[in-house]
Amino acid sequence: MQNILVSLNEATRTVNSGSNKVTLLDTINLNVEAGEFISLMGPSGSGKSTLLNCIGMLDHFTDGGYTFLGEPVHSMKEKNRAKLYKEYIGFVFQAYHLIDELTVYENIETPLLYKNIKSSERKAMVADMLDRFNIVGKKDLFPIQLSGGQQQLVGIARALIGQPKLILADEPTGNLNSKQSGEIMELFAQLNKEGVTIIQATHSESNAAYGSRIINLLDGKIV
Amino acid sequence: MIKNYFKIAWRNLMKHKVFSLINIIGLTIGLSASFVIGLMIYYDATFDTFHKDKDRIYRVVTDLTSPEANFSIPGVTLALEDAISENSNFETVSGFYIERPSKVENRVLNSEFKWPNFVVFADANYFKIFDYKFLAGNTSEILASPNNVILTENRAADYFPNTKPSDIIGKTLVYNDSLHITVTGIVENFKERTDFVFEEFISHSTILQTRLRDDFLNKNWNNTNDASQLFVKVTSNADLSAIQNRLDDLAKEHQDEESKKYGDEQKFTLQPLGDIHFNEKYGIYDWSKGQASKSLLINLALVAIFLLLLGCINFINLNTAQASQRAKEIGIRKTLGSSRKQLIGQFMGETFLLVLVSAVLSLLLSRWLINVFSDFVPEGLSYELMKSPLIILGIAILLLLVTFLSGFYPALVLSKFNTVSVLKNHLAVGNKKVKLRKFLTVFQFSIAQVFVIATLLVGQQINFLLETDMGFKTDAIVSVYSPRAEREISKKELYALKLRAIPEIKSISIGGNAPASISTNSSSVTYNNGDNEVNLDLQFIFGDVNYVEVFELNLIAGRTIRNDTVKELVINETCRKRLGFKSPDEAIGKTVLLGDQSVPIVGVMTDFFQRSLRSDIKPMAYRGDWYQPDWSQFQAVHIAFQNESSADFKGTLSKIENAYKSVYSETDDYRVEFLDETIQRFYNREQKMSKLLNWATGLSILISCLGLLGLVIYTTNRRVKEIGVRKVLGASLLQINTLLCKEFLTLVAIAFIIAAPIAYYGINNWLQDFAYKTRISFWVFLVSGLAMIFFALLVISVKTLQAANANPVDSLRSE
Repeated sequence: MQNILVSLNEATRTVNSGSNKVTLLDTINLNVEAGEFISLMGPSGSGKSTLLNCIGMLDHFTDGGYTFLGEPVHSMKEKNRAKLYKEYIGFVFQAYHLIDELTVYENIETPLLYKNIKSSERKAMVADMLDRFNIVGKKDLFPIQLSGGQQQLVGIARALIGQPKLILADEPTGNLNSKQSGEIMELFAQLNKEGVTIIQATHSESNAAYGSRIINLLDGKIV
Repeated sequence: MIKNYFKIAWRNLMKHKVFSLINIIGLTIGLSASFVIGLMIYYDATFDTFHKDKDRIYRVVTDLTSPEANFSIPGVTLALEDAISENSNFETVSGFYIERPSKVENRVLNSEFKWPNFVVFADANYFKIFDYKFLAGNTSEILASPNNVILTENRAADYFPNTKPSDIIGKTLVYNDSLHITVTGIVENFKERTDFVFEEFISHSTILQTRLRDDFLNKNWNNTNDASQLFVKVTSNADLSAIQNRLDDLAKEHQDEESKKYGDEQKFTLQPLGDIHFNEKYGIYDWSKGQASKSLLINLALVAIFLLLLGCINFINLNTAQASQRAKEIGIRKTLGSSRKQLIGQFMGETFLLVLVSAVLSLLLSRWLINVFSDFVPEGLSYELMKSPLIILGIAILLLLVTFLSGFYPALVLSKFNTVSVLKNHLAVGNKKVKLRKFLTVFQFSIAQVFVIATLLVGQQINFLLETDMGFKTDAIVSVYSPRAEREISKKELYALKLRAIPEIKSISIGGNAPASISTNSSSVTYNNGDNEVNLDLQFIFGDVNYVEVFELNLIAGRTIRNDTVKELVINETCRKRLGFKSPDEAIGKTVLLGDQSVPIVGVMTDFFQRSLRSDIKPMAYRGDWYQPDWSQFQAVHIAFQNESSADFKGTLSKIENAYKSVYSETDDYRVEFLDETIQRFYNREQKMSKLLNWATGLSILISCLGLLGLVIYTTNRRVKEIGVRKVLGASLLQINTLLCKEFLTLVAIAFIIAAPIAYYGINNWLQDFAYKTRISFWVFLVSGLAMIFFALLVISVKTLQAANANPVDSLRSE
């Protein structure tokens, strides 16, 4: 029980579109154990991103139960939820979503700022991360000066800096060519080996193959 | 964290240079105005705040009311002091008398000082109320005996240069050739801002040796003089209403029969020390300083507030308009764990940085502004005042307030963005925010529009004031005033004789003030037509027989006076009507009672303006100089020039001055006034107001247009694609421009509709001060509305033309 990270019990997400009620996620039951590498697959609009956002607490289920590390997220206050999320979850996006006004170094540092980590400690952690991803030489560049693969590398570094238990990646290689894409997936596999739980959404069979488990979604249902 | 915020704030400032510049200019203008005006308010509000027990010090002042007119006098009747000095509500009662000696001599040094200013006759009580620091002299017996004087440090330095205070004690000064007075004390001048500018304190009992002896021996309840001042310090538990009752009783008790008959009343009131600096009714002691005017300060403060608001509005408008550009950053920060509070903090930090930059610029700018606004800025105000702790605190609070006002709403809007939709690029810019921006723009332009209309209307009224025919000749007339002390007529006649030799001069009259002046001389006259008695307050102008000719007064019946000293009156039309004469001719030959003398009316002249057009035309009479040669009312020689053109004015003027010097060889008190300038000076206040309005208008238009420009830049950038498509479909430059301008011009038009009635109401109110005013003409509104639209169009077109001209291929390719 202890090593179950995420547990969804009949989780449902609906939105109102005009007078119609549209169900984006329909009674999802899912347990994710620590150390898993899950690939979410399915066509566009099947609900992969919504599921990721809901698990990542950027969005919320409208019905059903969501337990994270044994804590009931669905009945939690916003403040506690933010705390939980800051502590344990890192995001990687298809469009990288780096802050254009910040340098590579500053982008990676930002999550630490929100965790109120001391300056000296921050420096050490960011330096480690830059080292690990071999981007020390690029630390003073702005995102616009980097290639897509490099930007995504920074994005992953930024997601990892807070030492999250869970990384949520929404089509992390969607904007990359196959070579860059392979490198990023290798990186994910490596991270997974080191103990980080990963849930990725992807269209690509080959990328999905890196995962330990594949979950197929169609019209908001697990199939 | 903070460092990170400032870093990103700085980078954002640099990235959006135009927007930042617009914001900074707007805020800088608002802040500079606030700084300077705040400084002025602080300067005026801190007058005489340093006195011990300042809340218990009052000046007793007199209000005279009669059915005809009301007068406010800063002095009281001499008799009042004795009547209240025993009252237990007062801790100290101190009366003093302001009297300028004609001459003070230090005979040891053989130096002479003419008409020294700020000399008072006072006693020890004055020094009990106002705490002076004695640099030398006996403080236990202050001004105890006659013929003693206490000098301030500054005055002592004039009379006894380079002498130590302790060495001055015991030295003698000679006043008015005959009074030998010993210096018994030297006090320090007040170091802080004060209206108590007195420099010489002669012991009160000395006054019995001056021309005022009779006044002080027979103190009279019916005679009130500005110079007779009375200060009281009430006890700490004094009953102010009881004091007022006592003063009212005293006034009633001593009302004489004649006053009762005509309904004249006098009322004594306590004027708080803090009121002296602001209350124009009673004035201050140093006339040259110009008094603080509460209404002017309020108007200035309003201008500052409006300018500041306009700056804040620009900020809000531009930042919410730009919001979508920042949305991505916000979304990312939220996914990285930033709370909404932290985001708000970040944006407020950015705003604060901008405000700070503006504040630094404003501090530099206000140094210069103090010079530009020298008409409004009190003379003694220096930039050093900025260093006083209260001002620094005030600035800090102001900066925080401005940061909050301009930053809070945009921060709220920005931090509210939904993370998921931002990151998916599904950002819908709410209709509500667009509405708010429109509202704010309308607000801005309404303010600017009100200023424009007000400026034009005030200008129109000033024009009217200056252009209106005063009813007598005002051009090419100069008045040369005789030395102040001169009471006899002989020298003026000699001077007039010399002037007659100058060919450029058309006519010369010896007389009192010009027909229009700020000083009046009046007394009450009675006319009995057999049935009933008419009593009225009659103003006088004094002049010799040539007066009518020099000023080209219009006689409509009778004749002018026969000579200078014959007791005859030439009344004006208003007086004729008030006395009840049906026609001018009917008045001729009737006699009125002036004091105890019967004086015949020999002529009637048309009405003319005796003062500014603010006041009505009052009953007036022109008369000679009845008490020649000993006590002459004539103070000036009025000279009309042959030639109205100013070609040879200078030469003639120097001839006039030379003639003066040959007659008055011993004085250097040459005072010449041009009548047209004197009349212009009536309207100093209006001119000042007009200048202020010009600035306010210019700046508010500038800020508003900058804000508009910002919005236009933003909107057109967003519509680049639409413009491109329309051009491809065949729209012309003009059509596109019209499309883009329409939206903004509607706002300006709405602003006009809001502003017009406000401006009308305000100006209409202002015009009530004037007895004579222009009509508020509607073309002014039309012109100002069109002007505003023109300005707006100019600003908008700068950007829209550029957008419309752009090659559609470029704008469409990016998709």
